[in-house]
Amino acid sequence: MRRYARFVIPAVVIIAVLAFLLVNLSASLVYYNTPAEVQERPGSNERLRLGGRVAPGSVVDGGTTVSFTVEDCDTDVTVIHTGVPPQLFQEGIGVVVEGTWDGTVFESETMLVKHDEQYRSDDEHYDTERHSCSDP
Amino acid sequence: MTNAKPQSSPVWPWYAMGIAGIVTLVVSFVAPPDAIQGELSRILYVHVPAAWLAYVSFGITMLASALYLWKKDLKWDRMAAASAEIGVLFTGMTLVIGMIWAKSTWGVWWTWDARLTLTAIMFFVYLGYLALRRSTDDLEARAKRAAILGVLAIVQIPLVHFSVVLWRGLHQTPSLLKPASVDMDTPMVVTLFIAVGMFSVMYVAMMSKLVELGKLEEQVILADRSSTAPVAGSAVTAPSLGGDA
Repeated sequence: MRRYARFVIPAVVIIAVLAFLLVNLSASLVYYNTPAEVQERPGSNERLRLGGRVAPGSVVDGGTTVSFTVEDCDTDVTVIHTGVPPQLFQEGIGVVVEGTWDGTVFESETMLVKHDEQYRSDDEHYDTERHSCSDP
Repeated sequence: MTNAKPQSSPVWPWYAMGIAGIVTLVVSFVAPPDAIQGELSRILYVHVPAAWLAYVSFGITMLASALYLWKKDLKWDRMAAASAEIGVLFTGMTLVIGMIWAKSTWGVWWTWDARLTLTAIMFFVYLGYLALRRSTDDLEARAKRAAILGVLAIVQIPLVHFSVVLWRGLHQTPSLLKPASVDMDTPMVVTLFIAVGMFSVMYVAMMSKLVELGKLEEQVILADRSSTAPVAGSAVTAPSLGGDA
């Protein structure tokens, strides 16, 4: 009995700690907010991440800023981004922008391009609607 | 002193690694570029096989560790250790290659996305496994401690692999090893499968060399312990009263 206890007790403790971490960290492991989640928030100076698809036809180059709409299948948010976007930035691609939400416009200075798991030799084969609804 | 007769070490693993490396490189450049990512998509053919090998290596470490705990035969311990070393190497490769890919597509070298964070943790846990193996030169104690960690640490692999599905992150979801259909054009899937196959050949070749090395290391440890090394305190001469007895 004591022989098994030496293995069982540490194993139980490890599993309990892992379970605790998983349950409690799940919220902070969420990397970005969806447009709907951002819309629900009041405007503030809090830094947020917003993720979604760059709405086709919405990109307007304003010199030092770029404005566009980040959408998912529920709703969309207007983004004004200051700085140079990454090279893959284009209409229809996924992005995660980081900045503040003032209640009407999302102002960002950091942009990451979120490419997906599709690999196609030809543009036409891309399923551009695939991630228009947010995953998890 | 039992002088093990010097066995000729096989040369096929060197050829196998070389050929596998060259084939991977050639097929990665023959594959068509991706329509959105362009030439950057070729990184896929080393990033994914490296990650695949890391999973396989740690899986085999787990199996060999369990077999050691069951059979108490040091050959399983050597296998677990060799596989973990390869796993750490390829996890490191996955991280470095992934960072290069991330900088050119996402726009940053690193970000604390769930997949990246958990992969980094996995890397350090298995580095810890390798460090644990250096904590004693008692071969049985070393094998037992390492085997327990080798079995427990496996819980990380499903977490790492499914982290992209479990939590909303930046890393893309899997293109292969997933329930839904594959989202790649046929020439790209074929290239990826060839690359995964070639990396698996490298794994077998490296295992053969590392297990051999592990055997030699054990002989060195045993020789050090049993041979002519002075016992602590042997340099001290017992005090005696002067004068003729």
